[in-house]
Amino acid sequence: MVIRRLLIYLRPHSKALSVALVVLFLATFADVVGPILVKIFLDRHLMPRSFDFTDLLLLGSGYLGLHLLSVGLNYYQLVSFNQIALKVIQQLRVDVFSHVQRLALVVFDKTPAGALVSRITNDTEAIKELFVGVLATIVQNVVFLIGIFIAMFSLDVRLATFCLVLLPILLGLMYTYRRLSTKVYRTMRKELSFLNAKLNESIQGMNIVQAMRQEERFRKEFNVINMAYYRAAISNIRLESLFVRPAVDLIYTFALVLVLDFFGFQSLNGPIQIGVLYAFINYLDRFFEPVNMMMQRLSQIQQSLVAAERVFEILDDDRTVPMPVSAALAPSIVKGQIEFKEVSFSYDGSSDGGSDVLKKVSFIAYPGQTVALVGHTGSGKSTVANLLMRFYPVTSGEILIDGTPLSEFSEDELRGRVGLVAQDPFLFAGDITKNIALSRSNVSKKDVEDAASFVQANEFLRKLPQGLAEPLGERGGTLSSGQRQLLCFARTMAGKPKILVLDEATASVDTETEEAIQTALEKMRKGRTTIAIAHRLSTIQDADLILVLHNGMIVERGTHTELLVNEGLYQKMFMMQQGTGV
Amino acid sequence: MLLFKELMWFFKQEKKSYGMGIFFLIGVALINLFPPYVVRVIVDGVSQENLNQGVLIKWSLLLIGAGLTAYGLRYIWRLLIFGASSRLGRLLRKQLFDHFTRLSPQFYQKHRTGDLMAHATNDIQAIEMTAGMGVLTFVDSVTTGSLVVFSMSFFISWKLTLITLLPMPFMAWATSSYGTMLHKRFHKAQAAFSELNDKVLENISGVRVVKAFGREETEKEAFRTLSADVVEKNIAVAKVDALFDPTIQLIIGISFFLAIAFGAKDVVDGRLSFGQLTQFTIYLGQFIWPMLAFGWLFNILERGRASYDRVSALLKVKQEIREQEGAMDRVPSGQVAYEKASFAYPGTQRLIFKTMYVEVIQGQTLGIVGKTGSGKTTFFRLLLREFDLSEGDIRIGGISIYNLRLGALRKAIGYVPQDHFLFSTTIAENIAFGKPEATLEEIQAVANIAAIHEDILQFPDKYGTLVGDRGVTLSGGQKQRISIARALLLQPEILILDDSLSAVDAKTEKAILKALKEKRAQKTTLISSHRLSAIEHADLIVVLQDGQITERGSHAELMAIEGWYASTYRSQQLESLIEEGGA
Ligand SMILES: Nc1ncnc2c1ncn2[C@@H]1O[C@H](COP(=O)(O)OP(=O)(O)O)[C@@H](O)[C@H]1O
Ligand SMILES: Nc1ncnc2c1ncn2[C@@H]1O[C@H](COP(=O)(O)OP(=O)(O)O)[C@@H](O)[C@H]1O
Ligand SMILES: [Mg+2]
Ligand SMILES: [Mg+2]
Repeated sequence: MVIRRLLIYLRPHSKALSVALVVLFLATFADVVGPILVKIFLDRHLMPRSFDFTDLLLLGSGYLGLHLLSVGLNYYQLVSFNQIALKVIQQLRVDVFSHVQRLALVVFDKTPAGALVSRITNDTEAIKELFVGVLATIVQNVVFLIGIFIAMFSLDVRLATFCLVLLPILLGLMYTYRRLSTKVYRTMRKELSFLNAKLNESIQGMNIVQAMRQEERFRKEFNVINMAYYRAAISNIRLESLFVRPAVDLIYTFALVLVLDFFGFQSLNGPIQIGVLYAFINYLDRFFEPVNMMMQRLSQIQQSLVAAERVFEILDDDRTVPMPVSAALAPSIVKGQIEFKEVSFSYDGSSDGGSDVLKKVSFIAYPGQTVALVGHTGSGKSTVANLLMRFYPVTSGEILIDGTPLSEFSEDELRGRVGLVAQDPFLFAGDITKNIALSRSNVSKKDVEDAASFVQANEFLRKLPQGLAEPLGERGGTLSSGQRQLLCFARTMAGKPKILVLDEATASVDTETEEAIQTALEKMRKGRTTIAIAHRLSTIQDADLILVLHNGMIVERGTHTELLVNEGLYQKMFMMQQGTGV
Repeated sequence: MLLFKELMWFFKQEKKSYGMGIFFLIGVALINLFPPYVVRVIVDGVSQENLNQGVLIKWSLLLIGAGLTAYGLRYIWRLLIFGASSRLGRLLRKQLFDHFTRLSPQFYQKHRTGDLMAHATNDIQAIEMTAGMGVLTFVDSVTTGSLVVFSMSFFISWKLTLITLLPMPFMAWATSSYGTMLHKRFHKAQAAFSELNDKVLENISGVRVVKAFGREETEKEAFRTLSADVVEKNIAVAKVDALFDPTIQLIIGISFFLAIAFGAKDVVDGRLSFGQLTQFTIYLGQFIWPMLAFGWLFNILERGRASYDRVSALLKVKQEIREQEGAMDRVPSGQVAYEKASFAYPGTQRLIFKTMYVEVIQGQTLGIVGKTGSGKTTFFRLLLREFDLSEGDIRIGGISIYNLRLGALRKAIGYVPQDHFLFSTTIAENIAFGKPEATLEEIQAVANIAAIHEDILQFPDKYGTLVGDRGVTLSGGQKQRISIARALLLQPEILILDDSLSAVDAKTEKAILKALKEKRAQKTTLISSHRLSAIEHADLIVVLQDGQITERGSHAELMAIEGWYASTYRSQQLESLIEEGGA
């Protein structure tokens, strides 16, 4: 099954592959002819001492010519197989990566990033061997084997049958090895992905590890995985030694003993043909040559197949983001009206309501309005944003934009019109301009600059030696948290979204900057619907509608003044922030 | 061969495995000479018709015995040599990881995670190959090669042998120059793989951004470009790689030609029998494998060396943050003082601090405020020695932190970073991160102080809830409070809260601050915050601006100065007042 799927990847290269195979055969053929020419020389010229100059010249140049040809063809063949293998792997990689892009966020919530990386890069790399050397070896040696069997059958049927009987034994050996080693290789690949996950997490959290002096523990934990990986490797070496090369050699010895004894005991009863005995032994040798060549590749094949299995597991993961049903109709977002209709949601996908993070949330944000979400942390504010971004499908209820169900918008339309400033800022490695523009076609250099000044980033950008062209390290590590947040804000603003979702977008930013951004936002409110999530209630007071979330339910709603009159949770929260206490 | 020299330390360390392994390997080579001999004896017996049952059985048993012995020895040497090579991989991975744990943020700013991961997996694999397959092919090609050469020259003709071996220097030259080429190209190929690895990691870490901005297509395009680069670099490797075998084939072909041509002349001149010439060509045939192995050896070695270069370059990176000789292993306590502290991030010009003085009396609370990017986080990182001051000193209880063991210094500090980072394990283990042996009661106690206990109880798995990579399955405020609990569990002398209450609501903030005040009497607390309510009750408040402390004092004092603090405080108050007025 796995093999079939892998072979499908060869299909686009069938032409190159056929050429490579033909060249391989030609090269092998030229290789085989060489010794025959030598034999001709020895038999026809040297033995009878007849040295005809033109004949010799012909033979000599024929030999050298063939040899050079074979060398050239071999080079070509080797390079082609490599090229094909590399391209196959690239295609496979691109396919997995593309598939991963389509996977829903739940998958990423549950799978450590390092483990995913391991599958996309390391596991695909491990498949490479299968196409580089193994394929050629197998094809070549199977042909050899067939040739040898034909020769044997024409020589002596008993001999051929004897070798045929050896085949099931060898196949049995292969089968046993495959069965046992599959498990071991699976462990090995799994441990490798643990290793990657651990490395990733440790490196990213190294400052915490060091601040809390847990280096020793982490070293130990890493070593546990490292040991497990090593143990799997050793088990594999064991298996390979027990069942592959040494075992084949042992079978060869037994076969040899059988042949010798068979003829030996026969000869005790009467004379036998020495020639036949000689041929038997000779062909036995030749029979085992390709067998050995193939067996030697067995563990590579195994490793590749197990790795492929893991790659296909991802490709088969069907937890993808659902594609809009009717791409042809492709509704667009014009007004920017948002409606939540009795939306309930739980992250674990269960619909019994027990683990619901949002419970029957309903509200409407009319075009141009600002709707604010407040509530204690963990009450589900970010979840509302996540759902509006279509990161997760709602469990029940419906979200509508401009009256159209959220699920019907194309990715492009939704992502182009709805902008989110997430709570956790994430920047890519690369320069600041690139981070703000994100290679969007509709974001010009000017838009980037405007966005940067919109979020009041100019001041700190000026202090950077290269300004907007300043390269950032991983995750923007050379900036302060607030600066990172500003850049993420700018990134969203640069896309000029119709609907703006701000999830505590300025939580790490000082008040002065925050106010300036607030004022700027104010000016641009026309034609833009905003969902704002904030702790500092001061930043959302002029919202058209404030929703107070508590344990996933909207417990209060209204404008700031209405809510204060209400004397509910909002008022308490507000008083608390004024420092007046309750 | 260079790599063998570089790996000598390991071979010495694994003397026994390699010694015995090679011994058995040679043993197997010798046993392999036995079956042909038995064949000859029996064939001779059959043809001379002097075979009897006893002889037949004796030789058969001997042959079986030899086969079994060879089987055993093969098993053992594989386990010894390949086992040792796996141990090299394990050891290097361990060294690399250990080294990673000693390196400071400065290193991690320059090296990207995906790249570092590739070093520990992909590169080490190539090195393992050298220590296993490489050693095997080396021993094998040398022993069988010399056995064959010995037989050729000893049993047949040393002159002919010499003539036949004439092209060999060319082969040595060719393979070694291919090796150099391969080395460079493989190095590039490995670097390309690293980059690809890094791209994938970044893409997955930033999946929310990719999705929110609908960047999947651009990401795929970028990935396609990088993976095409990997292909290109690897094809460059393959082009050299594929030179080895054909070159050796060519040389052997020429040797064959020379052997036959000169051998034939010898036969004609009567210096050699016809049978001897045939035998010579058979030996020459046996010479093919060791030659190929030799080429292969060069190939493996150069790949290994390229990767070893990469790995040892990482291992050689010096720790930027080091303990001084004779550093004290005493957990410091007392007044925290920054004296004439100046600091610029390595590789940058801009001074984040210019000869700054701050003193915090033991048991007091310091509040640090200032605009975004004014250096609040940097202030804390310097105390933790994530970076070292360019000039000046930081003292705790009068002792310079540079005279302390790192462990001792950090033991005194509980750090709640601004960017909360949780590990992908349970909530309980995350809280107990700095003290894995903590009991559930202790964990719950600090969770209570951090006002997260109630939240945790609401989760289906309570303290056993898994939080995912970096804590993705928690809300921002939950993550922050878990980090606070994590630091509190250590009962540190000095607690650092770096804007750690930004994602919690005012009520919770108040509760946490109150609890801290009660539980941490006599202990120093350093807090930075944008919301001044979090630091307003601090004993000392400093305002950072342009590398200086522009204002310092208590809340009341700062309000009286009428500077940045007062105006910010007012504006934070004012906003709400205006609204209230409107109500
Ligand atoms: N990706 C996730 N998987 C599972 N649970 C989650 C996930 N994200 C958030 N939660 C849980 O959902 C609840 C609401 O979180 P959130 O919406 O982030 O709160 P907040 O109101 O602080 O933004 C929290 O209890 C949190 O633990
Ligand atoms: N690792 C770094 N390398 C270079 N510059 C840095 C690094 N980290 C922070 N900076 C710069 O130092 C200044 C202070 O940063 P930080 O201390 O994080 O500010 P904040 O007061 O917001 O916490 C910022 O301008 C930031 O860009
Ligand atoms: Mg949130
Ligand atoms: Mg900071």
